[in-house]
Amino acid sequence: MSPEGDKKNWVGKPLPRKEENRLLRGRGKFADDIKMREMLYLRFVRSPYAHAKIVSVDVSAAEAVPGVVCTLTGAEVAPQVQPFIEIAPDPGGKIKDYALAVSKVRYQGEPVAAVMAESPGIADDAAELVQVEYEALDPVVDAEEALKDASILHEEAGTNRVWNGVFEYGDVEKALKEAASVVSIDRLHFHRFSSTPLENNVVIAQWNPKDERIYYWCNNSFPSFAIQFLSAHLNVHIDRIRVETSDIGGSFGIKITSYPQMAVCALASKKAGGRPIKWVETRSEHITSSAHGNERTFRDTRVALDKDGVITAIASRHIDDCGAYPRYEPLGCVIWSQVFPGVYRFKNARIDFTQTVTNKCPVGPNRGYSRMQHLWFLERVVDICAHELGIPADEMRLRNYIRPEEFPYTTPNGCVYDSGNYPKMLQVAKGLIGWDDWKKKQAAARKEGHLIGLGIGTTLDSGTNNFGQSQIVNPGAPFSGNSQGANCKLDIYGEVVVAVGSCPQGQGHETTAAQVVADVLNIHPDLITVRTGFDTERNVHTGFSGTYASQFAVSGLSAVHGAAQKLKAEMKRLAAFVLETQEDDIEFGTGAQGPELRAKSTGKSINYWGLANIVNVNSAVLPVEMHDVTLNCRYIWRAPFKVPDKVRKYGNLTLTYASQLHIAVVEIDRDTFIPHILDYVAVDDCGTVINPPIVEGQVYGATAHGIGAALMESCVYDAVGNMLTSTFSDYTPITAVNMPKVKYGHIETPSPHSYSGAKGMGEGGAAPIHTISAALQDALFAEGIIVDDSFNNADSLFRAMVGKEIGQVGKLVKLERRAQ
Amino acid sequence: MYPRAFHYHRASSLKEAVAMLSQLGDDAKLLAGGQSLIPLMKLRFANPQHLVDLNFVPGTSYIKEEGGALRFGALTRHAEIENSATAAKIPILHDCAAGIADVQVRNRGTIGGSLAEADPSGDWAVVLMTLSTEVCCLGAKKTRTVPLSDFIKDAYTTALAHDELVSEVVVKAPPKGSGGAYIAFKRSAPVYPTASAAVQLIMDGDVCKDVVIALGCVGLTAIKAKDAEAALRGQRITDKALSAAMEAARAAADPQSDMRGSTDYKRALVGALVKRAIEVAMRRAHGEQVEVGHIYA
Ligand SMILES: Cc1cc2nc3c(=O)[nH]c(=O)nc-3n(C[C@H](O)[C@H](O)[C@H](O)COP(=O)(O)OP(=O)(O)OC[C@H]3O[C@@H](n4cnc5c(N)ncnc54)[C@H](O)[C@@H]3O)c2cc1C
Repeated sequence: MSPEGDKKNWVGKPLPRKEENRLLRGRGKFADDIKMREMLYLRFVRSPYAHAKIVSVDVSAAEAVPGVVCTLTGAEVAPQVQPFIEIAPDPGGKIKDYALAVSKVRYQGEPVAAVMAESPGIADDAAELVQVEYEALDPVVDAEEALKDASILHEEAGTNRVWNGVFEYGDVEKALKEAASVVSIDRLHFHRFSSTPLENNVVIAQWNPKDERIYYWCNNSFPSFAIQFLSAHLNVHIDRIRVETSDIGGSFGIKITSYPQMAVCALASKKAGGRPIKWVETRSEHITSSAHGNERTFRDTRVALDKDGVITAIASRHIDDCGAYPRYEPLGCVIWSQVFPGVYRFKNARIDFTQTVTNKCPVGPNRGYSRMQHLWFLERVVDICAHELGIPADEMRLRNYIRPEEFPYTTPNGCVYDSGNYPKMLQVAKGLIGWDDWKKKQAAARKEGHLIGLGIGTTLDSGTNNFGQSQIVNPGAPFSGNSQGANCKLDIYGEVVVAVGSCPQGQGHETTAAQVVADVLNIHPDLITVRTGFDTERNVHTGFSGTYASQFAVSGLSAVHGAAQKLKAEMKRLAAFVLETQEDDIEFGTGAQGPELRAKSTGKSINYWGLANIVNVNSAVLPVEMHDVTLNCRYIWRAPFKVPDKVRKYGNLTLTYASQLHIAVVEIDRDTFIPHILDYVAVDDCGTVINPPIVEGQVYGATAHGIGAALMESCVYDAVGNMLTSTFSDYTPITAVNMPKVKYGHIETPSPHSYSGAKGMGEGGAAPIHTISAALQDALFAEGIIVDDSFNNADSLFRAMVGKEIGQVGKLVKLERRAQ
Repeated sequence: MYPRAFHYHRASSLKEAVAMLSQLGDDAKLLAGGQSLIPLMKLRFANPQHLVDLNFVPGTSYIKEEGGALRFGALTRHAEIENSATAAKIPILHDCAAGIADVQVRNRGTIGGSLAEADPSGDWAVVLMTLSTEVCCLGAKKTRTVPLSDFIKDAYTTALAHDELVSEVVVKAPPKGSGGAYIAFKRSAPVYPTASAAVQLIMDGDVCKDVVIALGCVGLTAIKAKDAEAALRGQRITDKALSAAMEAARAAADPQSDMRGSTDYKRALVGALVKRAIEVAMRRAHGEQVEVGHIYA
């Protein structure tokens, strides 16, 4: 549909969020608020071992507890289901994943059995009585160790390697040979952490024997993906699975992979004769066994540079650790390549990418998913090379950034960066933070022995995936493109009602969707009701519907816009008929009788009630040639993608590229080794902004997550796979007292790839992780220390600076200068 | 998770609570603010059969100045102490109360519960060790007053008999010319410190007449850093004396590696905290109003 120029009365305005009133007054409706007659409560029995054989499971004592209705074990479940779909080809494709462990456990916290009881307390009591006998096996917690296959997690796969592929473009060898200098970096490591939504996972399931349908009320954040997995797993027609979500207290991608627990709840309900089953995850369960972010190790990196410090090639080996089961993986093995060269111009690169399983919690697509690991790697490479060659960090970036005039820019692997202006963002950020002043202060402080560092992190938040990239990891994968659905209607009394296939968790979809429709119909957004929260029965979802991967502004709002335009066209046609005039004589506005359509020539008008009345309850008035007018318009938006070239691993993988440039000034206290952020700037470019405070809120939230990840949050396992950070006391998610005052700036480079110029955003590319690493690195170069890990707290800085155990430059980095 | 089932008893006086304890036996526990006990019960690490709730006993929450001492009712909440002008007369008490966890925990948690819990990471024991503190223990037959240093025996172990409870905590006001400070490093507000240092000293001009230094979270109980005190006592507080105190404090520490930090790091950290606490305590001893807060990651 060609975008008819809407007047922008509402899009771009700082409209307060429509959902605020409900949520801030505690009137949100969350999954755990739902109580049903005959409801039973489920508690999982979980493995204390990271890797063990299950010898026996005895549920008799648990079943004998008064109030316990039934139990489920892996052995009981396995014959009733198909193993979950594996996205990987062999060997990863051979892995058999069940929702309850069948013959082995593969991470601490893996569910082994489930107990269903009349109250949560009884379920807790009975779960303690389930006797499981284990025979311990050797655990592997380190990815590189795992790849040696000394102890294998999934015997059916025969190896711990899930996936391997080489991404090679240009001529790396030639570039290395012709380079003025070559920098080698032995090992860099991106740590494992997770997001910590306020609300844990919640599933209510009912396998209703009356209609043989499964009903879910839950907070899964990608339900259309979950139903595809569940349908195949449970051997149930997909239309027989109904999923509803309501308000969701955060997901950050972590709630995408709750489908195994959803499966157990459905099977439990079936066994309990159709009684609804509620499972509310505890915080410790969430931290140990929902999903973590991907951990990645970067080995044997070689960087070719010309005499001006321009990077000409990068070769490296990346090892991704996906925990015990791949689940959403190995999609992460290709998703990073959406930002293959980051914000840089180099053309030659070879990345040998491997993913392995380990005896740790499975990963899920955590905010910044798979791209942040790679972007962090590139930012480390840039800073280390700059330092080795004696080029200032800002200058190094300017020499290597993709230039503003090069957009749309095609990357070596065929991705098309829609728009951007990285040098300008750098300039804005430097201005906001007072770069030159800080440089002077830094030099003065150094003389007095203070360790202050300034760091720049430039990142991309690629949004609206081309699911065709799944074919790069598995040529047989039946996915490509991307789509989203929306419906816009005048209800019987003329109310404007919009339904979307998304399930927002704080992104303000009710507000932004209303802004878009308000502009199409030229009415106030308060007159528009937006139904968010997923519901299969609303029939507005496609197989890609959900809320994930920075895309609502593009996919969701394009669908809403399309549906609103369809509705507008029908309204116009109908009004022209009723008012006996031409369609181009009709204008949209608000009159004494509310929103209405007017004939400019006669001044006659009909309001929304009048239009809706004719179509819905007064239809004898309607001539036959207008019977196709429904005022109930469904629109499916499809992203203009092609299937990528699987052999060359080449093609456009995402539609929009929002960018962030952050600068941090960090001081490391010489006595306590505590890193303190002295100043912080976040500059964002997500194209045309639909609602500035919502965008700003996403930037602050992503910044907090990133600072937490950089300095405080790490999922730590000991050598035998015990998780050491299973409570908030140990995991220490970031809180307000840890947040610096963040200065916010933004530029707008409208996207030519979306109807409104907006780009998806919200993940922030985990910008603070790169930025804080960069600032610490700037402070520590003079100490001979390389920031080789994405997680740096006071203890690790102490171990690097005093213990000299980690991050020693001599062991990690080598510079080779060639005579030219 | 939910705690295991337990019987709930509501005491209407401290005497009745003691009687309930004797009657119910070993499986009974007192409930004060519940900020240590309830989380343990929810994780099912503690599974008492009976809870005796003190929260409805009148007259157990107060801060009184009497006879050169401050008297705290056992159920005085951290937040009440934080916001009390009376308590602020001994600034180190305010440092401590204001830095415990977050507002929610401070609104519930009590000084009596904190001492009775004897958590190796608890703040009150460290701070009160630098002052002359007595714990009033009410038993079925008698009431006794135990100096704090005798009250805390070991990690999670106190001098309380099963049917005794803490009724009051009495802190003697330090003499004129005194100053104190408490500084901890905490990764975030609602967690216990990685390490902490409490210093209470008496200055005579620039000479330190007397000093008490206690270290928190670096041993099974709060540690009195005697050699560090000796390095300052009777001395002018020069950089050299400060360094000596810092090194001696490090030597006195006996930390364990955990998620809060490695042994070596905690040892280094606690020295740095001692140094800062001494600096603030000195300034306060000289009559300066100094606000200090904990250091957060
Ligand atoms: C998230 C979180 C963070 C925290 N961070 C800190 C921190 O940084 N620093 C810190 O010091 N504390 C911290 N705490 C603990 C908090 O200060 C508690 O309030 C304190 O440890 C116990 O006091 P309570 O009144 O809550 O006792 P309860 O939990 O009710 O009881 C603790 C124990 O003492 C016994 N008891 C209670 N009152 C008496 C009494 N009058 N006589 C005899 N026995 C009694 C109980 O039977 C129980 O065994 C934290 C707690 C939480 C939940």
